Parts: sequence; structure tokens; C-alpha cells
Amino acid sequence: MTKNFDLMVVGSGPGGYAAAIRAAQLGFKTALIEKDELGGVCLNWGCIPTKALLRGAEVAHTLRTAKQFGFSLQGVEFDLAQLVEHSRQVSKKLNLGVAQMLKKNNVTVINGNACVSGKCELIVDCQGDQATYQTDHIIIATGARARTLPNLPSDNSLIWGASEAMMPNSLPGRVLIIGAGAIGVEFASLYSDLGSDVTLIEEQDRILPVEDEEISELLRQTFIDRNISVKTGSRLESAHIKSGEVTATLTDRRSGITQIVADRIIVAVGVTGNIEGLGLEKLGVNLERGFIKTDRFGATNVVGLYAVGDVAGPPWLAHKASYEAASCVNRIAGKGEDPLSQDNIPRCTYCRPQVASLGMAESAAIKKGYKVRVGRSGFKTNGKALGISDSEGLIKTIFDAGSGELLGAHMIGPEVTEQIQGFGIAKLLEATEAELMNSIFPHPTLSEAMHESVVNAIGKVNPS
Amino acid sequence: MAARITPILMPKWGMEMSEGTITQWRCSPGSKVDAGDELVDIETSKIVNTLAAHEAGLLRRVLAKEGETLAVGALLAIQADASVPENEIDEFIAEHNDGNSGKKKSVADNPQSPISESYSTVIQGAGAVAEIVASGDFDDGAVPASNIARRLARRYGVNLRNIQGSGRHGRISKIDLEKALGRAGRAIEHEHIHHAIGRKRSTDDDRLIPATPVARRLARELGINLRDCRPGGTRGRVGKADVEAARIQLSAIRGEISDGAIGGGSRQAIPARDFVEVELSGVRKTIAARLQGSKQNSPHFRVKMTADAGKLLDLKKALNENHAEAKISLNDLLVKACAMALQRVPELNIQFDGKLVRRFGRADIAVAVALEEGLIAPIVRSVDSKGIITISNEIRDLTTRAKLGLIKTEELQGGTFSVSNLGMLGVKEFDAIINPPHGAILAIGAAEEVAVVRNGTIAVATMMTLCLSCDHRVIDGALAARFMASLKRFIEDPAMMLS
Repeated sequence: MTKNFDLMVVGSGPGGYAAAIRAAQLGFKTALIEKDELGGVCLNWGCIPTKALLRGAEVAHTLRTAKQFGFSLQGVEFDLAQLVEHSRQVSKKLNLGVAQMLKKNNVTVINGNACVSGKCELIVDCQGDQATYQTDHIIIATGARARTLPNLPSDNSLIWGASEAMMPNSLPGRVLIIGAGAIGVEFASLYSDLGSDVTLIEEQDRILPVEDEEISELLRQTFIDRNISVKTGSRLESAHIKSGEVTATLTDRRSGITQIVADRIIVAVGVTGNIEGLGLEKLGVNLERGFIKTDRFGATNVVGLYAVGDVAGPPWLAHKASYEAASCVNRIAGKGEDPLSQDNIPRCTYCRPQVASLGMAESAAIKKGYKVRVGRSGFKTNGKALGISDSEGLIKTIFDAGSGELLGAHMIGPEVTEQIQGFGIAKLLEATEAELMNSIFPHPTLSEAMHESVVNAIGKVNPS
Repeated sequence: MAARITPILMPKWGMEMSEGTITQWRCSPGSKVDAGDELVDIETSKIVNTLAAHEAGLLRRVLAKEGETLAVGALLAIQADASVPENEIDEFIAEHNDGNSGKKKSVADNPQSPISESYSTVIQGAGAVAEIVASGDFDDGAVPASNIARRLARRYGVNLRNIQGSGRHGRISKIDLEKALGRAGRAIEHEHIHHAIGRKRSTDDDRLIPATPVARRLARELGINLRDCRPGGTRGRVGKADVEAARIQLSAIRGEISDGAIGGGSRQAIPARDFVEVELSGVRKTIAARLQGSKQNSPHFRVKMTADAGKLLDLKKALNENHAEAKISLNDLLVKACAMALQRVPELNIQFDGKLVRRFGRADIAVAVALEEGLIAPIVRSVDSKGIITISNEIRDLTTRAKLGLIKTEELQGGTFSVSNLGMLGVKEFDAIINPPHGAILAIGAAEEVAVVRNGTIAVATMMTLCLSCDHRVIDGALAARFMASLKRFIEDPAMMLS
């Protein structure tokens, strides 16, 4: 049986459903194929449920510091199962939302495993029932999954990936987290606030290696103040399970071989693209380090075949996937050409304190040959930050001294993930430091620190 | 210039519109108009739209005749208060037409116009609006302007080159644009363009539309905007019957009311009918007019030939197996074969407007695409000099965008030859109507395995029937036969396309 669509999307995460909805809105007869739950990792096992859990961590911190505001609390109890349940409910709710949005936009949702069986042809297997589809355009948005480490025993009751770490049935006493990228750092912050004893290890020489060096260093200091043990330049060699405990052997660049005993290990060492079983090899699709190789608009080397989101390579961010999806569909429809610009993708990490950034780090800008003007501002004198008793942090802005272009913005501190977009809009509209300085920031807000940072940059004639 | 005189000018609907044809006046000189009233139907190369009055007043003069094609910014009519004397209006018109020779772009007067690519025509302005509209270099992409100003300029058809910016480095702001429009007698306002054909529902505030109290309440209950109703009631008001008519019209087109449901509701007054009225869409109207014109003006004759598609199908298979980036169809190969045959017989690679033949070097081939709304024929340029994979991917891109209604006007204009293929739908053979200004069109039937006699024995071959329709005014039978013979050779020995 052959059925026809104008455009078919494989995978229903933030890349897939955005592509399908955009296509349907433009008038394509569109279908979306999903083998599991609608919404992908982001909604079911990533961004969304972790934010719900991190809110719990924040509440724990608030309760601990309530005394400062005159509250003395007694008999406070914590039910971990309830927090996990809350996060699951949020995912479920949004999951239904995606289904409704797809329905409203007349996207046909097909349940099953898709395989690209030829140019512009898909076979969907739904529990043994196979259907063949002819379609002008196929967009692969199958996402990515957590990488695993071959040198670890496979016991997912003690050695967790992100999804196990999101659904703990009891709070582990000692947690060892491998990898200090955004995911590892968020779990470190979460479990530490909930009361676990956390060790965070990272092979590179700093945590959050994609961020500006100063931000990484500030976060490390804050984590140390929070009694999180941070070991950079450390590599996990092996781990052994013995009577409900895991003993991990690490090689540290400075102190050589050490051992750490933990109740749980959380592995957060990056992701790998979901490229298997799609028939890509047979079709001769160009791949690159476990991801599909595309042009700026998501087109692969095969006619009518496109890839967007995590499966098309880094950065592995939901909002990058959605943007790529729209840009790819628009390009197919000949409606505007707005390829993704890496420098305009905001990065947010929801640890405490939060980290958010955009564009180039200072060192990267200098390496690229820019003459930079750097502004810095903390929250120490920010009225709002002092009022909420959360005044640690830094906002760093990097401008091209010549054109005034905002090259990068790097923020660590209270609610910075909600503020980075101010710099995002400025960057997209190519505002210079002058426009940012002339913008009126409301008082008293945390965002005043953004303004301070820009003013600080202008004050500098030609640093670095 | 008297401020009480309001010129009605040829509007600019969309980037590509450079001229429009007056289809029908909805008001006559002397009639009183209100803001939002429909004045005149204007057809562009894309759609038929209705121009609405921007303000209330008296329509004093109608200058543009029905059927006339005029440039954007041309003076169509004069609206003014009754108190304005006739001689003042005469002066106003004279002032407008001064230095505007060539403003009229009548098809009949200018034999080149139908085959010239109209979008590239430099438009002579008329009056104040036209000054900011389109004089000078048309591409204003390099002029510094804020995004908002740029978007508004596009909407109002303003060329940013004609505006002085007040921002830093002469950047044009929204305020600069508002001021320029103000000087030209216009203001930023809500759009009053009704889609007379598409029958889109209006969303603008309709509280100021005169209507009877019953009509107003009924319209609210039925969710109908009074702007979508014809004022057929007393004192020019929308009556109850007008609201009910609008309901049927809007619903029938959108398929909301099935045959039986009309009149079946609680609101009686709507008579039961066993048919649904469907107005011709803009695309349909254009097809109707163009093809009727072609059949009436061009004496068609047809030559038919069969060709063995076996080698072409083998080539298609080999190309697709060896190139990931290609999904070549038989039609793509036939388009290429036509381009090659047109190089051999350039007498068919032409545009003809009834008086003049233009013979082209490159073959720009229009490829017919069937859409739900009707036929559309986007043009693949320079097919003769492009590789087959490029041609195939261009046709796919054009087809995709044609389906979505996102094809650009210039992609439908010009061309030197057309190809129409119904083979994929199982049609054995057919003939097509010439797509003006072309001189010929090729109709392609299905490639089917049949028994053929070769050297006295019966063999199986994959044969297809090709039918060429030609305009006998410029193409004779022998010429058509030469083209078909050449085409057949390219199809049956595709390696020749490399020569």
C-alpha cells in the first residue's frame, strides 16, 4: 500500500514537530512519524522534566535560607517521589499539548518506526504492519541519545544515565557525576541542593567548557562553596560494584590515580546521533562523527532528504532544533533564507547560580582577531539581587571595538536564563553598545546589571 | 493643489506588481463612497483584487477605462467634495499627467508589451505618491532603513531611495516613512483590500459600516463581518438579506455548509438549494482568459508521433542509481530533449504576440503543473545549457512552490516553449492549447509496453505518444515535423544529447 504526502518528518521532538507544523502551515500535506511519545527527549526526558526537578532544588535552598527572611521552620519533610511525580506530570501535560498542536495544524501523526527505503520513499513499521509512503521531502529529526561509557558496568540501578537520574526512587547519599557539561552541572546542582554529597568530574580543565573561562571559574568557586567536590582534568578509568556501592578509579592530571566510593554514578558525557535503522547508509547519506552532515539549511547530499536538530550535529539544543526546522522548511518552500547563525543561539544551564550565554567567549573573539572591548558587572551592588539575597554573579559583554557589534554576552547569576534574550534581540538587530546603553532598563531589576556591563565596556578605551 | 481632492491611484499589491488592468468599476462618477467601499476590481498577473476607498467622499471622475492596463501609481479616478469646482479637478488631472507621457501602458498600443517581461518595466510615476513609489532604481535593498520602515515601505509600495532618512547615517525610520506618505496624501492605515475573489473573511472593525439593527445583530450571531456584506438595504445600509447572502457565499466557498445544510438551520429565510455556487478563483480566471484568447487567436494544428522511450528509461535508471542527489523523472529528461530539439529547430523556440516573432537562443521551457486550483506553468530557464540533475531539481523546487502558492510572478513569465505531461496519470495521448506567448506546446502521453513491428517481426517496446500543438500563423507543418523528428531522435538515442 502506497500513500502520499508532500513532506514527511521523522521524529517529534522540538525539531520534528516544529518542522511538521511549519510545513503544514505553508500548505504542505504533512505527516509526522514517531515511534514513541510525542515531544522527543526535550519534553519527555530532557529540558522540561529537569526544570521541574530543579525547581524542587530551588525550594530546598529557599527553605534552608528562610531564616534570613525571618522564618524559622520546623518539621520540614521532603517527599522525593512527589517531586518526581510533579516533573512527570509537567511532561505529560506538554505532551498532550504537542498532540493538540499537530492536530490543529492538520499534521497526520503516524505511529511507528520509519526507514528511508529510497529517494523520497519511507517505510513505516507499526508493530509489524508495514506501509510505504511516497513523499517529495523527508526531514529526519530523530534527535540524539546519551553516550554511554564502555568502561562502566551495565547496572542501571547504580550507574545512571540522564533518564534514570530524572526518576530516582530514593535520594542517594553520595553521587559521582561524570562530565561537567550542561547536563552534568545541572544534576550536580540538583542533587547537592536536595542533600546528596556530590562529586563532579570533568576530563577537560574546567567545568562548562563551552562557556567563557571566567564564567566556568565563577561557577567552580560557587560549587566549591556549596561543598560540591569539583575535579577537573580527571578521567574515569573503571568502576566496580560491590555490596551496593560503586568504587570508581580516576586518573587525575595532577594527583595521579585516585579512587572514589559513591552510591550512584551519573554519566553525562555528551550525546550521539540517532542515525541507526533509518536506511541512511544504504542511501549513501553523508555522515560525520555519528551525525548527519547537512548544509546550512539542513539539506543532505541525497535529493529530497533533510536533517535538523540534534541528529544534524551540535549544539544539541531544543531551540536550535526548532530554528533549523523552520529554516529548512522555509528554504524548501522558497520562503526566505535565514540559515541558523551559531552566534545567535543562546545557551542556558539551569544550575544554581544559572549560566546563560550567547556568541563568542572573550578568548575566542581575540583568537579570531577582534579588537575587543569587554564590560563586566556583578550583582553585588544590584538592589534587586541584594533584596532577594542572591547577589553572586557576573555579566560580561564583549564588543568589537571597531564596529560596536556585540560579539558575546556571558552571564552567571540569578535568573540570567530569562535575561539573555535581551542580548539576543540586540545581537540579531545588530545593535551596538550605544543602542544598548540608550535602552532604558527598569529599576529595580536584575537586568540592570546587563546595562551596567555595557556601560562598563564603553568606559574602556581599548583594553586587552 | 487642493487638499479636498483625493486622487485614486493604481495601487501596488506586492513586490512584483508593476501594473494592473481595470476589470470592472464598482462605482460610477457621481456616486457617494464611504471609507471601505469597493471602488474598482483590478487584475494583476497574480490575482484579481478590489481597491477600496480610503475615505468617504464623492467619486467625481473615472479616468481609467475597463480593460485598460496602467502602471502602479497611475491616476484612476478623482474623489472630491461636491464643493470642488470642475475646473479645479481639470487642473489637478493636468498637473498629474504633466511629464507623465507613457503612463498608459496599453497592450494594443505597444506590440512588445505582452512579451516583454513586465516586472522589469520602469514605471513612470504619477503625482506625489508615485514620486515616492517607484521612480529611479527599483532595488532599494541597499538604502539604510529600520526593519519596520522597510516592511511598511514594501506594503505601501514605497521606494526607499526616494526618502530622506533622519536617523544616524541617514537611516530611514518608521517616522520618516510616515511623513513621506503623509506628504503624498496617504497615511499608514489598516488595509482595506478585500479579496473579492478569494472571499476571505474580513476581521476589521465593522461598527462604522451602516446596517440595519436586525442585520447587525444577525451578523454578530452568525460571526459575519459587515464588511463582507453588500449594502443592499435602504439608505445604503446592509440589510438582513445581505447578511444571509454573505453567509451562504462565505460558507459555500469554504465548504462549511453542505448542500443539505443550506436552509436546514434554524434561520429559515435561506432557501434550500441543490447546488453550490463556486466563484472562479483568481488563478482560474487567468487560465480561462489566457486559454480562451489562445484558442481564439492562434490557429492550432497538431502533429503526432510515437517514440520508443526504452533508452531514455534506461538512462533515467542509471542516473538515479549513481547519483544520490538526483531523482530524475522521465518528464525531466523529456524537457531536456525538447530543449535540445529546440536548438536544432530554433524556429519553434519563440515568443509571438500576434505581430512580432522573437526567436531565442536559450530554451526557457514552461512545465505544466496541475494544482487543485488549476494549471500553472513555471518556467525552467536555459534548459539547453543545464545538466539533467540541475533541471530535475529545479523542476522539483518549482513544483513544490507552485503547490504552496509561493511561486514568484517572474517565474511564470516569459518562456519560449511549453511541455505538458499527463503520462504519469495514465493518459495515452492528448493535445494541449498553446500557452501564449509561445508558438508551440508538447503534450506527452504515458510510456507503455506495446507490441511493435520491426523488420517484419513483432517485438515489445516501451512506446509513448507525443503531440505537438503549433500556432500556424508562425509555424508550418513541415517545420513542426522537423522538430518532432529531432525530438524523437534525442529520445530514442539520448546519448546524442551530449553532442
